[in-house]
Amino acid sequence: MTPGLSVQNLSYNYGARKALDDVTFTVEPGAFCALLGPNGAGKSTLFALLTRLFTTASGQIAIAGHDMTTVPRRALARMGVVFQAQTLDLDLTIRQNLTYFAALHGLSGRDASNRIDASLDRLAIRDRASEKARSLNGGHRRRTEIARALIHQPDVLLLDEATVGLDAATREAITTHVHDLAATDGITVLWATHLTDEVRDTDRLVILHQGRIMQDGHAGTLRGDASLQQHFLTLTAKPA
Amino acid sequence: MVIHPYLTSLRAIVGREALRFLHQRERFVAALVRPLVWLVVFAAGFRAALGLSIIPPYQTYITYETYIVPGLCGMILLFNGMQGSLSLVYDREMGSMRLLLTAPLPRGWLLFAKLVGSTAISILQALVFLAIAAAFGVTTAPLGYLTVIPALAIAGLMLGALGLALSSFIKQLENFAGVMNFVIFPMFFLSSALYPLWKMAESSELLHDICAVNPFTHAVELIRFALYGQLNLPALGWTIFATCAFMAFALWGYDPARGLTRRKS
Amino acid sequence: MIRTTLALLVLSAPAAFADEMWITNERDDTISVIDTQTLEVTRTIPTGARPRGIIFSHDHKVVYICASDSDTVQVMDPDTGEVLHELPSGEDPEQFALHPDNRHLYIANEDDAISTVVDVETRTVVAQISVGIEPEGMAVSPDGKIAITTSETTNMAHWIDTETQKIFANTLVDSRPRHAEFTSDGAELWVSSEIGGTVTVFDGATQTEKAKITFDLPNIHPDRIQPVGFEFTPDDAIAFVALGPANHVAVVNMASYEVEEYILVGRRVWHMAFNRDHSQLFTTNGISGDVTVIDVASRKPVKSIKVGRFPWGAAFRPTN
Repeated sequence: MTPGLSVQNLSYNYGARKALDDVTFTVEPGAFCALLGPNGAGKSTLFALLTRLFTTASGQIAIAGHDMTTVPRRALARMGVVFQAQTLDLDLTIRQNLTYFAALHGLSGRDASNRIDASLDRLAIRDRASEKARSLNGGHRRRTEIARALIHQPDVLLLDEATVGLDAATREAITTHVHDLAATDGITVLWATHLTDEVRDTDRLVILHQGRIMQDGHAGTLRGDASLQQHFLTLTAKPA
Repeated sequence: MVIHPYLTSLRAIVGREALRFLHQRERFVAALVRPLVWLVVFAAGFRAALGLSIIPPYQTYITYETYIVPGLCGMILLFNGMQGSLSLVYDREMGSMRLLLTAPLPRGWLLFAKLVGSTAISILQALVFLAIAAAFGVTTAPLGYLTVIPALAIAGLMLGALGLALSSFIKQLENFAGVMNFVIFPMFFLSSALYPLWKMAESSELLHDICAVNPFTHAVELIRFALYGQLNLPALGWTIFATCAFMAFALWGYDPARGLTRRKS
Repeated sequence: MIRTTLALLVLSAPAAFADEMWITNERDDTISVIDTQTLEVTRTIPTGARPRGIIFSHDHKVVYICASDSDTVQVMDPDTGEVLHELPSGEDPEQFALHPDNRHLYIANEDDAISTVVDVETRTVVAQISVGIEPEGMAVSPDGKIAITTSETTNMAHWIDTETQKIFANTLVDSRPRHAEFTSDGAELWVSSEIGGTVTVFDGATQTEKAKITFDLPNIHPDRIQPVGFEFTPDDAIAFVALGPANHVAVVNMASYEVEEYILVGRRVWHMAFNRDHSQLFTTNGISGDVTVIDVASRKPVKSIKVGRFPWGAAFRPTN
């Protein structure tokens, strides 16, 4: 079976500094994979490579079986992204924002508008569709961005610190939503975070530290008897 | 190749530029005030009330106001190109540029679409400026208002491409002031926008040569001739060449293998 | 169908008139002939020394040219450019006017303070009238009863009875009067004053001053505003006044005597003439050595045509 997301021997350097060093992991279709790592672990670099903001000569990335180097556009087409920075045009309504995105993916007319409705329904924000993005709170803006990333029905959803700057309740709600997407819609999710409480025991967990993969397994198994927080701190405190 | 997604995305990107423009009316007004100040305040005070010598495409003596109108159209395009550059740098810092670049279309096409969008806005502004200038009595042949549109488009694309190229090299928003000092002002003042080239040659041959190779000079001359329904082939050639060169720079600057934002977070 | 329409268009289009505008070049001793359709110089014809005033006979069969430094008026065949003969003109003829009878030329002799009346048929001087110092402007009323001479130093317009060839009135104008012209009904006489910077309007019947027109161009020093030649539209509605080194032609409303507009032309504009249908006006620009064509309806300069050095006078010649 083709993995949802496959990263093989990926390396990237900023000059002499290695930001990613031989990173390899795969995520099964429909799995929720948490990518846990402290700040500076290389998460952002990994995301930039996954979204083809940069490319690298060493290593391969495949999205739903489509190689990022040889067929980048097919790979990008199967992928939804929620960036850490907010990327809504605040002067436009939610629907206008989503319509713009749909068009970037070649979707227009009735098809686009049906998909947008479905996507907004999925995130329970359809009633706010005609409001300007500026009038939304942080949680709803994030939901809008998730809804947007789903319009073209991607196989893989990438989220980079999606809950940053949100209050605890909203964080919880968004985390739950995205877990649901994986469980019910069969979307492969890669959820980058540095917050351990967003990871569930049943989740796939990849721990990234100083550009290398420290551990890769199921969250519940990896932490053993300790809390994930303790486990993570112990792991990342050791000199690499 | 399926054409449909290309056109859909082009329409959306151009539409977004148009909406952004509608939401920033102050920017529109500001972009018009600048050349109008030149036209009304500066030009009126110049001694050239007695007429400038005849140079092509003019068939008779012209006032200084008439002379600088094409240069001021160029000024609008130049400032908009740089403004576009600024907003690209801003977009990149804010992340919405990432959104654009992750669309499953060739990056060159996406950048080109953005360029088309901002150029369309520039043309609109230049036409409004020409209308206001006409209200002040600075007019050209009626047909010139049509023939100038393709010239504005080519010149706009060139300056937009320059902005795009610059934006890929400016790493931070704060460096934008430097762009103003080192790009906009020399480009505008060392061109045929304010004085004809022969006048430049009178003061210094070097100055004349600099002006003659400045692509902005050729953009302005292209507009100047088009306003009189004439095609200045050398200017067209230069402008297209410069557009391609700037676009190539921009594509190189935005090449993912180069790393768009080589900054660590 | 299309072919018929085309044929009709071709037929109905005015046959190439190739009407001409004749320009005297004071410094080159030539006349530049401009095709009024193509706006290009088609011929250059040699003349006597320092040609200035130029006028066609009313039937356009001959053209009279003041060859000032040759002290003669030349009579030329406009078809061939050949000088047929010369008229006794008195010394230094500068400007002249042709009487409606197509026979009597009234010539101003600048250096002699006289005006000479010449019979162009007998080629003899009919009369010499003493006028003020440096006579220049010349006009004859439409009914032929009054001739006017303006004298540049005396600053007067002299009113001459053409029957007696005697001055019957003198009127003062501003400094250095250069050109005089009656309106088509003879009701008004306009006189331009070069140094005074004004145009004075007289009542043709009473010889009293009716109005004085002044000019004011932004950014141009008043000293440069020196009105010289002027022309009226055939309906006496608009006067175009050449303002010399101000490089502009003023558009004057002849009912209100107000200046409505200024049109930018070449350097030191002096005289002018209309084309056949009065849709275009040709001005002579002495220093820049060219002729500016003004579109009368839009009041915009259309083109400036290089001619000889120091173009002075302009006269229209219909060619059929």
